Amino acid sequence: MIDAGRYPQIATLIEAQLRIFAAHEAYLAMRFRNLSESELAFAEDLASLIARIAGDELDQCCADYRWLTHAVLDEEIFFRRENRYRLTTFVEALAEVYSDRVYMTRYMNGSLISQLWWANHSQTLRYFLESYLPANREGSRHLEIGPGHGLYLYFAATSPRVVALSAWDVSEASLAMVRRSFTALGMERPLALHRVNMFEPANEVFDSIVLSEVLEHVEEPDRALATIAGLLAPQGRAFINVPVNSPAPDHIMLYRSPEEVFEAVARSGLEITDVLLAPATGASLARARKLALTISTVIIARKPQ
Amino acid sequence: MSGGLTTSPIDPEIFAALTEIVRTLFDEYTGPVGPELTAKSVGQWDSLANVQFMVLAEQTFKIRFTTREITDLGSLGDLARLIVAKRGRG
Repeated sequence: MIDAGRYPQIATLIEAQLRIFAAHEAYLAMRFRNLSESELAFAEDLASLIARIAGDELDQCCADYRWLTHAVLDEEIFFRRENRYRLTTFVEALAEVYSDRVYMTRYMNGSLISQLWWANHSQTLRYFLESYLPANREGSRHLEIGPGHGLYLYFAATSPRVVALSAWDVSEASLAMVRRSFTALGMERPLALHRVNMFEPANEVFDSIVLSEVLEHVEEPDRALATIAGLLAPQGRAFINVPVNSPAPDHIMLYRSPEEVFEAVARSGLEITDVLLAPATGASLARARKLALTISTVIIARKPQ
Repeated sequence: MSGGLTTSPIDPEIFAALTEIVRTLFDEYTGPVGPELTAKSVGQWDSLANVQFMVLAEQTFKIRFTTREITDLGSLGDLARLIVAKRGRG
């Protein structure tokens, strides 16, 4: 399904994944069918980063990915039957997911691998690297809220336009994952990691804020977006990534269309300057809209002067 | 999921309704839809799409599948027979 001579990192990861999850072969074949040269080149670089982060635990990460797909499938069954996400409050998600360090580690390991296997995740990362970061102004103070596996933060750390890096998360396991990723990737830039709830008052302002796959985890997404607007310096930029129709064990806020996300961002006072809509693997945008499949809805927004 | 159902006849109305769901969900598939059709034959029919397919079948026939029945779907003919059996039990 992949030319191992040209794309050895992807081939190595596919081999590792299929050793553990043979039933995923047809899906992975679909994932890498009909990709352009540039998409494959990005996927190869991404595979290399993921392999370095996973290190000796690659098999475990691939097993955790298999576990994640099963967990998501259970949520998908509930979602299709009930037309809503199973959980509706942060307290429920905290009890079932965030407070369980073992669960969180599996979740984030699986999520790390999904950055390559799920087309919408790869597309979103690439958009961040190639479209968002280069347009930041020189000397940007950069914050990511909910850094997860740390790949977005790593890319930000490679940007010469970023002079200061911060990350906030409510989960210690998530912050530990970021530390692990930076160490594995040899990234030595100073990084301010804080275990903090984004709604707590802060005295800092930032020129660049990433909020990727966070809004679907909070009960008050409008308040979260208003908080982002408040944390941005004038003319500061935000990268906001929200998967619509995307059931998962800790998703509580259901957006049913990209337009609902656009409207929420507009209510915060931020100006939308660019958008990427990345449908789930194998689906066209039209089909994803028609069948209410997952669409990663990515917005680049700016705080007015 | 087939078990003792494999030799029982297929209800044409049920099969027609299943065919319509297949055609609606998997619009890139232009091949024949017969009792032997499986997810493997249809490019768009991955595990998440399979959930949609099975839940649409549940709603159409007012039945409920177990998680195992959803994930271990055999052929379309097997499913049509399972639906008959479930309705009979209902």
